[in-house]
Amino acid sequence: MLILGIETSCDETAAALVDDGNVLSNVIASQIDLHARFGGIVPEVASRKHVEAIGYVIRETFDSAGERPAAVDAVAVTCRYGLIGSLIVGVSAAKAMAYALKVPLIGIHHIEGHIFANILSHPGLPLPHVCLTVSGGHTMLIHVEEPGRYQVLGGTLDDAAGEAFDKIAKFLGLSFPGGPAIERLALAGDGAAISLPRPLGRSRTADFSFSGLKTAVVNMCQGRDRGSLPLADIAAGFQEAVVDVLVSKTLQAARRLGVTAVSVTGGVSINARLREVFSEACPRHGLQVFFPRPDLCTDNAAMVAAAGAVRLRQGEESGLDLNAVPNAPLESIKCPAKRC
Amino acid sequence: MRVLGIDTASRTNTIGLIDADRVVADFAWDARDSSLQQIIVNIDLVLKRGGLSLEDLDGLAVGIGPGSWTGVRVGVTVAKTLACTLGKPLCGISSLEALAHQSKTASALLCPLVDAGRETVYAAFYRVREGAPIREGEYYVGSIAGLTDRVREPVLFLGRPAYLHRAVITSALGPPARFGSPSDAPGGAAFALMSLPRFAAGQVDDPLSLVPLYLGESLAQALLRRREAEARGGRAPGS
Repeated sequence: MLILGIETSCDETAAALVDDGNVLSNVIASQIDLHARFGGIVPEVASRKHVEAIGYVIRETFDSAGERPAAVDAVAVTCRYGLIGSLIVGVSAAKAMAYALKVPLIGIHHIEGHIFANILSHPGLPLPHVCLTVSGGHTMLIHVEEPGRYQVLGGTLDDAAGEAFDKIAKFLGLSFPGGPAIERLALAGDGAAISLPRPLGRSRTADFSFSGLKTAVVNMCQGRDRGSLPLADIAAGFQEAVVDVLVSKTLQAARRLGVTAVSVTGGVSINARLREVFSEACPRHGLQVFFPRPDLCTDNAAMVAAAGAVRLRQGEESGLDLNAVPNAPLESIKCPAKRC
Repeated sequence: MRVLGIDTASRTNTIGLIDADRVVADFAWDARDSSLQQIIVNIDLVLKRGGLSLEDLDGLAVGIGPGSWTGVRVGVTVAKTLACTLGKPLCGISSLEALAHQSKTASALLCPLVDAGRETVYAAFYRVREGAPIREGEYYVGSIAGLTDRVREPVLFLGRPAYLHRAVITSALGPPARFGSPSDAPGGAAFALMSLPRFAAGQVDDPLSLVPLYLGESLAQALLRRREAEARGGRAPGS
């Protein structure tokens, strides 16, 4: 089944063609440079850029896959979770495509897309597993019972992990996005030189909190001359604290649920230190750990198409009155055909 | 020529269908019922009423604003995508020109107004030449008072904001100010009819690059522009 995926939930205009688990094309027009000047994502600027880019991105998706629109069997689009103005552009385009091609339309929750980034990257990914999905917009732990069946275990109570990276980077005078900037600077620092808190580190919930950690960094620097600050050590210490909390919470959830595998996905899953610590810790706990291929870590439409394929196979389909919902809970497939 | 007209830039969203100079169907709904949710459903409704399918169309016309930034993106994105996917020509038409077109038999200078929020309006002046409104000067974004300051001759004010602010406009301009009916908002079919001479003249828009006519920037963009201009030691244009 050839599925066109469209994803515009934040600042990437993306389209992809996925055919039975094979990614034929995965086009992403990033707006990062545009938003870097503001030190963060400006929703109106993002929405405008999506309208500018969407036609070219879809055309490039077909051209690079050597496919024609008429060959598409269904259109999948991120319609839940993200910036409303951004979501609206992708959903408008997807609805028009599906209507013009007379094929089914399926709306996908952005988080479900990220879950599928790993399922798509590793067809042998064991089920059930615990998925940590972490980016600039969200941080969530999910029990993936099977594709389409989820239990959200916990999420961030304040900032997303990637958002904390962005804010600390801005505070330290580094570039946007903050993740890569802090990761680079941290290479020259000692992660143990500075003691920072592990918010909710000892709590038994699967929830996260990063705003206190952010405040701890700010307080530590307060009243000191910027030139005298050990910036590399601060970056390394901050990164270490975030990674520590993400890894320990994920392992705790995996142990509690008795799964054998952990899936780490989302924009922050590209962080080398996060991958390193997970890769060291998981085998010690008898767990396998999986990360998406690099082009599926950040927002992309291949993951959306893959999620759409599973839902369509289960008989789910969205109507042409599909709406965009900025903050919607992640839901399982309502009535899997095989189960009811 | 069969043309589908789409406009989601203002509070009344419309889809219309014309066959040559005949209006086959014209449908409107309130944008508060969701432009995004309703647009394809209503395109389907209008086409079915006309007994046509998308493939039967010879072209698409779309309102590109100014108006609601979020709203106009729905219509423009849908129209672009339909035009690209079906290989049909596309024509983008400004909301202000469409309003002026409703009064194209008037001899006065026309000034269509569209609400821009926060007590401001989008506007422009049009003079009818050979049955078509031609814009004179630049687009205007600002207060009603700033707009009336620019008036030097009798003007026919059009659009809902003109009707709502008619007392202010009349007190500033006196008798030279006249007003169109608040109910003369152009429907989708009007946009489609306006596109006919353009299609005939080959004045089509590239569906890949077509974007809304915003006539304004986000607050963040404006702040950044001002800051960058200050850093260069000058004043930002328009600030």
